[in-house]
Amino acid sequence: MKVIVNNKVYQGIPGETLMELAKRYRISIPNLCHKDGMEGQGRCRLCMVEVKEGSKTRIVSSCVYPIKDGLEVMTDSDKIRAIRKNIILLLLLKTPNNDYIKSLAEEYGVRAPERYMDSSLQENCILCGLCVKACEKLGTSAISLVNRGTSKKVSTPYDDPSKDCIGCGACADVCPTKAIRMTDENGIRRIWNKDFKLVRCSVCGKAYTTEEALKFIESKLGDEEERICEGCRKKNIGVRFKESYKNYF
Amino acid sequence: MNEIKRKILVCCGTGCLANKSYDVYTGFLDKLKGSDIEVVPEVKATGCNGLCEKGPVVKILPDEISYFKVKSKDVDEIISKTILGGQVIDRLLYFDTKDKKRLVSHKDANFYRHQHKIALRNIGEIDPKDIEDYKAREGYKALQKVLFEMTPDEVISQIEKSNLRGRGGAGFPTGSKWRTCSKYNNDPKYVVCNGDEGDPGAFMDRSIMEGDPNTVIEGMIICGYAINSNRGFLYIRDEYQLARKNMQVAIDSARAHGFLGKNILQTGFDFDLEIVRGGGAFVCGESSALMASIEGHVGEPRAKYIRSVERGLWDKPTVLNNVETWANIPPIILKGPEWFKTIGRDKNSGTKVFSLVGKVKNTGLVEIPMGTSLRELVFDIGGGIIKDRPFKGVQTGGPSGGCIPADYLDISLDFDSLSRIGSMMGSGGVIVMDDTTCMVDLARYYMEFLSEESCGKCTTCREGINTLLNILNRITLGQGKEEDLELLESLSETIKEASLCGLGKTAPNPVMTTLKYFRNEYLDHIVNKRCPAGVCKNLTSYSIEEEVCIGCGACAKKCPVGAISGEVKKPHFIDRDKCIKCGSCFSVCPSGAVKIGGGLIESYSK
Repeated sequence: MKVIVNNKVYQGIPGETLMELAKRYRISIPNLCHKDGMEGQGRCRLCMVEVKEGSKTRIVSSCVYPIKDGLEVMTDSDKIRAIRKNIILLLLLKTPNNDYIKSLAEEYGVRAPERYMDSSLQENCILCGLCVKACEKLGTSAISLVNRGTSKKVSTPYDDPSKDCIGCGACADVCPTKAIRMTDENGIRRIWNKDFKLVRCSVCGKAYTTEEALKFIESKLGDEEERICEGCRKKNIGVRFKESYKNYF
Repeated sequence: MNEIKRKILVCCGTGCLANKSYDVYTGFLDKLKGSDIEVVPEVKATGCNGLCEKGPVVKILPDEISYFKVKSKDVDEIISKTILGGQVIDRLLYFDTKDKKRLVSHKDANFYRHQHKIALRNIGEIDPKDIEDYKAREGYKALQKVLFEMTPDEVISQIEKSNLRGRGGAGFPTGSKWRTCSKYNNDPKYVVCNGDEGDPGAFMDRSIMEGDPNTVIEGMIICGYAINSNRGFLYIRDEYQLARKNMQVAIDSARAHGFLGKNILQTGFDFDLEIVRGGGAFVCGESSALMASIEGHVGEPRAKYIRSVERGLWDKPTVLNNVETWANIPPIILKGPEWFKTIGRDKNSGTKVFSLVGKVKNTGLVEIPMGTSLRELVFDIGGGIIKDRPFKGVQTGGPSGGCIPADYLDISLDFDSLSRIGSMMGSGGVIVMDDTTCMVDLARYYMEFLSEESCGKCTTCREGINTLLNILNRITLGQGKEEDLELLESLSETIKEASLCGLGKTAPNPVMTTLKYFRNEYLDHIVNKRCPAGVCKNLTSYSIEEEVCIGCGACAKKCPVGAISGEVKKPHFIDRDKCIKCGSCFSVCPSGAVKIGGGLIESYSK
């Protein structure tokens, strides 16, 4: 399957989206709501590209657009550049104090008209939905997108502490704009209005996860988990690797 | 003497019910029960007649006498004079505002005379809860014709040949939708009816579901047969309680009559229907959001690069049509595509139901052939503008539609002509505006509606509409700048191009069309700090022209804050410090002496 992107021919894999192809070939298409391993959502609209359809062109979002043989794509046309700038402008008006969005605006040369900027706004969430997707993929679905229109937000049911949340922090980890507040203090993790007891690594003693998250993993694996942090786990594997191969070197 | 078997049809649509038509209906039943009348008339509770404003409506057949604004105290008189004596009660007759006379049959009224009823053919004529009424008017004949005389392929060909296009708004050819879906063999397939009518001012689908539910059911069964589907869903919006009730009664009786369920009419074909109550969101009228909602998910649309005829409900091939489209199917099957094509124009066959509202004399549901001119709709059927004020324009297609200025009064009302000038047919809402409608405020109103009703999934729609709203708010408050217009245009373009679904893609239409056709009015707000329609209070002031004022004192009487003073038969004055700019003086003045001026520029230095 051949796909032409910016006048260069690439090999497409049937069933993949334009974004997946672009990522394989390191063709740059800006995006905020796409993450490898998760299906595209089409929320942020930053990945819009222009595709040829007959004699006309059409603006599509590459993270959900399925490729077809002979597809012609332009990722950087005048039209696309104008759309991207406006989308970044809209995000900047919504989150004027967010470092990530500010740097994006700078990169694309976007400046918001002074009189429409409300610099007192403390919003950081751009509603990309990655946190919700991550939580869903994990099998917990403790948070979701609630309400609609301008009052849409990410939250737990009725904003109460969720019984399903295990405090794993995957949501905060995938968030591109660091909008989810998670604090680890005095052996307690606080996230989504709920407190979790932190578990310390049996090797280095660092607080690295919560009781609930460990139990959740154990229930999935049907086996007891070693109480060991990611860093020490890697180190252990390194040691074992070295042991196994020491006779070869 | 009453030798004729008469029929009394009492309208029990939502509008008439609200005006206590059910009391009128039961009033007739009570009076006639046990009476010694020789030939007892039949009393029926029917669906909406369209002229809700003049309800409750009572029709007497076969005399074709129509009474309007009937109260339960009129029941005795109607029985004694009309039913027994064959007399017409003059004061209850329809008054035609154009010809200025009372009419015995509403069918002679201008409002009705220009109409051609296909989708609404049975409404007001039958009791929606009685399947026998529907059957007596060729009901389920089309289904029998299809099941016993036609192959699925022939059914689809007939619909294709008729050029029927989806009445929900986009105008996609129904036949080709069915054809594509029929080609997929990924069972099970689904048939869905979109009854989530959400455009402000539109109520044709409601009227059909309430007044003639069986025609929708029959249309859907026919589609099920044509595309080989055995299951259908009716997605009806939460607020339409009566529609859901009547529809459920119709489903149950259709099942009891063997039109629904297993082995329909002993042909071996199975098809059944169920009602899904809508979640109460405007966006759920968008097909993919509607399907997500049926599946039990949040009503958010998805990208439709793969069409729902291939992967729709539960990722299975699905045909989704709106209520009015379904209502057109049985007549097309019975009378044939050639008949249907004789109505309407070229690629826009048949009729369209419009809900005519706003500053027009006759409001209500109007079914007219496609291609009828806007002038005919507003001035012949609608009877012109209230108080004969100047006509300014119409907004078609609800919040996603566009506004059409007076220059286009002779435009043909069809899918293609409307989209050519930046508006759209949408569900058929037509809001008529006069010179007291502010176009900036109109655009602002729709952006406010859409900012609340956008599902919020994609950035351009959610943030874009909200930003348009902020800009428009500032303009109506007198804080606009000329460069705001460029920003409005540029953002509108982005929202239109980059939004995920139809709601977002069409949302900027009210802004784009008002900017295109009424740019001077925007500039008036921004540069002259003046709202010519007197709607934006910050940009309005009222004054009385001395030479024109006849000193009648009507304005002073009407003024709620006592801001107007003056001696009888001498010019009056408005105290600007007291004036709250309500506009009462302007609307009450018989001589047109009250003038609308701009706001005071000094207060807008910001």
